[in-house]
Amino acid sequence: MRVAVHPVQMVMGFIIWAVWFVAIYGGLSVACDLAPPSIWLGHMTWINAVLLGVTLFTTLFLLALAYRCWRARPDTDNHRFVVWISFAGYVGAAVATFAVGLPILGLPPCL
Amino acid sequence: MTDQRISATELHAGLARIWDNPPGWRTLSAVNHTAVGQRFIVTGVVFFLIGGLLAMILRTQLALPNQDIVSAETYNQVFTMHGTVMMFLFAIPVLEGLAMYLIPKMIGARDLAFPRLSALGYFCYLFGGIIILASLVLEMAPDAGWFMYTPLSDKNFSPGKGPDFWLLGITFVEISAISAGVELIVSILRTRAPGMTLSRMPIFAWYILAMALMIIFGFPPLILASILLELERAAGFAFFDATRGGDPLLWQHLFWLFGHPEVYIIFLPAAGIVSTLIPVFARRPLVGYRWIVLAIILMGFISFGLWVHHMFTVGIPQLAQAFFSVASMLVAIPTAIQIFAWLATLWSGRVLFALPMLWIIGFLVIFVAGGLTGVMLALVPFNWQVHDTHFVVAHMHYVLVGGMLFPLIAGFYYWLPHLSGRMPSEKLGRWGFWLTFIGFNATFLLMHVTGLMGMPRRIYTYDTGLGWDWLNLLSSVGGFVMAAGIAMIVMDIALHFRFGRLAGPNPWGADTLEWAMPNPAPSYNFASLPVIQTRHPLWEHPDLPETVPAGEHHLASFDHGRRETYGVEAVSGKARDIVHLPTNSWLPLQISIVLAGLCISLLVGAYTLAAIFTLVTLLMVLRWSWHNGAHPVAEPLRADEPLDPPLHSRTASGPGLWGMVVALLANATLYLSLLFGWFYLWTVAPNWSVPEKNPIGWLPLLVSGGLLTWATLWFQQLTRRLRKGEAAGLALKLWLVALVGAVHCAALLWVLLSAELQPLRLAHDAVLLVMLLYLLIHSGFLPILTALQAMRVRLGYVGAGLPYEPVVLLPFWIYTLGIFWLSVAAFLLLPISWGGA
Repeated sequence: MRVAVHPVQMVMGFIIWAVWFVAIYGGLSVACDLAPPSIWLGHMTWINAVLLGVTLFTTLFLLALAYRCWRARPDTDNHRFVVWISFAGYVGAAVATFAVGLPILGLPPCL
Repeated sequence: MTDQRISATELHAGLARIWDNPPGWRTLSAVNHTAVGQRFIVTGVVFFLIGGLLAMILRTQLALPNQDIVSAETYNQVFTMHGTVMMFLFAIPVLEGLAMYLIPKMIGARDLAFPRLSALGYFCYLFGGIIILASLVLEMAPDAGWFMYTPLSDKNFSPGKGPDFWLLGITFVEISAISAGVELIVSILRTRAPGMTLSRMPIFAWYILAMALMIIFGFPPLILASILLELERAAGFAFFDATRGGDPLLWQHLFWLFGHPEVYIIFLPAAGIVSTLIPVFARRPLVGYRWIVLAIILMGFISFGLWVHHMFTVGIPQLAQAFFSVASMLVAIPTAIQIFAWLATLWSGRVLFALPMLWIIGFLVIFVAGGLTGVMLALVPFNWQVHDTHFVVAHMHYVLVGGMLFPLIAGFYYWLPHLSGRMPSEKLGRWGFWLTFIGFNATFLLMHVTGLMGMPRRIYTYDTGLGWDWLNLLSSVGGFVMAAGIAMIVMDIALHFRFGRLAGPNPWGADTLEWAMPNPAPSYNFASLPVIQTRHPLWEHPDLPETVPAGEHHLASFDHGRRETYGVEAVSGKARDIVHLPTNSWLPLQISIVLAGLCISLLVGAYTLAAIFTLVTLLMVLRWSWHNGAHPVAEPLRADEPLDPPLHSRTASGPGLWGMVVALLANATLYLSLLFGWFYLWTVAPNWSVPEKNPIGWLPLLVSGGLLTWATLWFQQLTRRLRKGEAAGLALKLWLVALVGAVHCAALLWVLLSAELQPLRLAHDAVLLVMLLYLLIHSGFLPILTALQAMRVRLGYVGAGLPYEPVVLLPFWIYTLGIFWLSVAAFLLLPISWGGA
């Protein structure tokens, strides 16, 4: 079966989202425990920078996967269904990643 | 596919002989999904009525200020049991029961993939529920809330047996939930009617698939938490005790990792009922089928990223709270997709406002209100203000009663003719609806106000003059009005079995396959299995209710004496094998009785007896596994076996393999929860400390791991050859693999016995001990199960043409190998790199 029409794609977007979510929540907790930045720095800290970088990378990666589904040319109704759900799932996961990551821009990490 | 044409009467009689439940008390051995589903539903309704009576006690007590109808201690027990009964003994099991009853009928199968597992699940649920309720009768019910927060539930603050009843009883009940999850996933993916592709699946099946997957990933954290807390209470281990390096907040994380997805586990099947009924009563296809499937997937995932919104007041950094706050708001989007799709379907259809539809309208009103207060609660500052007030109680009931009970009753009314062959009374039904709707809103709408006025939840009484008096009185009156409505519905349903108008075929004009069979449904569901080429089989082929019982489709034969249904490819729905299903068996009941004995002996501290019950359970489970494949009790090799498609046990990828993989996913979630607990305590627990020297012996551990790796690779090679039809010397090789596995297990036991662990003093050592025990249990099973396979080769149940069972066992070997080396890395190597022991 071609990768683009494989049914695992239907959930892959949100599996990536889930891994990203665990990584930033867990990463934030560990970073605050090991090397908490000064609270006077506000949100301009190395932790925010790393979290933001990971978030932007994940968002773009998900959008790239969505684009690959967009370009797929499925040959049956069932495959069209799988590809449509996969495409929408990747876009949804990208939106969710970006939206959940937005507070990184404005909140201090460890307060 | 082969067909045999015989008369419909003869076909019915022949299939009924194979599928019917035995009469009298022997019906307890029935494993048929119709019987098991009905038992789940009836038992769930009984628990609902008990939970409702407990709610009436609460509302009576709170009706007026300064009442002492019940004491504070009793009140605590009653609200704990009300929540426990409603969440664990009613909401989830009743929906599982409905799914078990409906799914095979909707997807064109004759039964679920693992009927004995369903029966086991039911009895575990029944006995677990009885054990939990027994605590009420014995006046030792748990009183720490249905979420059993530590330290309130630990031995210091709850020295009685109440929490033990809860922890052991709930874990027992959860065996049922996990088994239902495995059962439903494999059935939906592998036993649909031929031709039913993913895009042609009834929308209800998508909802149940998501629910079942959520059970697989959502329940293990609570199972682990319950085991850890019971170990702490019974044996004094340190997990949640801050003075010994534990952390009470770990309980909250593990509980809500389960608890929040649970809300969606309850909501999704109910929404599935809504998505099934609305098109029928709007008399047009569901608008946005693809969007709804997408929304189900979105909801399934995002609901796992919300658990911390139950913990906004425990002192988590603001940025972390903001992640969960945004995720909590995001989950409103898939909900909204579904609501707009439902409204669009209604808008563009010709709606028939029959009784089930009334409940659907009630659902829409109440659930939308509950969803909106949910978005309010997702906002951290507002959440802080109303935390632990009646506002939260009101929100929760709007979501759960509106989101689950109303659709469930709609579903009951809709599928009643399927069960009884009769229609409900419109008049009594409408009275029941309006009393319940008005009573519900009177009870809970006002609680928003009392909550905003500062009334805390879980208080057994309050002073007059706080402005809460009349609101509470009206709330209580509303509660009793709602109870009258529920009584009316129970009466209506009970009476309809005798006085209801006879229902004709497909009385609501539905599009799904469950109406293609006679009412009430026969034990075998479909006399012949049709090929499905549309999402709306009964609308496009309205003659199916005649042609299916007449045997005009496939598998319309019975002289082989097998219970059989089609096995299909998960995506394309192409028939690939004939699944032969086990018939009635006493094993599920017997095993659950022994498990109940185990549960009770743990409760009373009779640990020797508990060990004996564990051994007996193990032996009975092995006997269960013995009656499979080509065993004479299952389906021995015969000359006239079907070859196109073949029987599933003659292939290398039957439903059992899928069942094993799904069960291992649940198991892996339990393991990952333990891993989470380890890292959480390591980084967050205020008094976490590590022993000065490493308590684990490295050399025997590495030897043990080497042996496991060798045995796993060898077993993998054997199964690869078996798939190709090479079985020379198979029995001997399997014995040797089992021997290597046994030596590995002995080495691991040596590691455990020689480890200088102090689990009563240090949380670090307590977690390490649990990890080692977890590995040991898995490693202990491997040689036993492999040796059994070797014996089956000798007896001719496994071999070149019968590769199925070793192939099913292979993922278990691989999983055990994976967790072994992951444990070495995460529990031993990584901490060393951080500077630990």
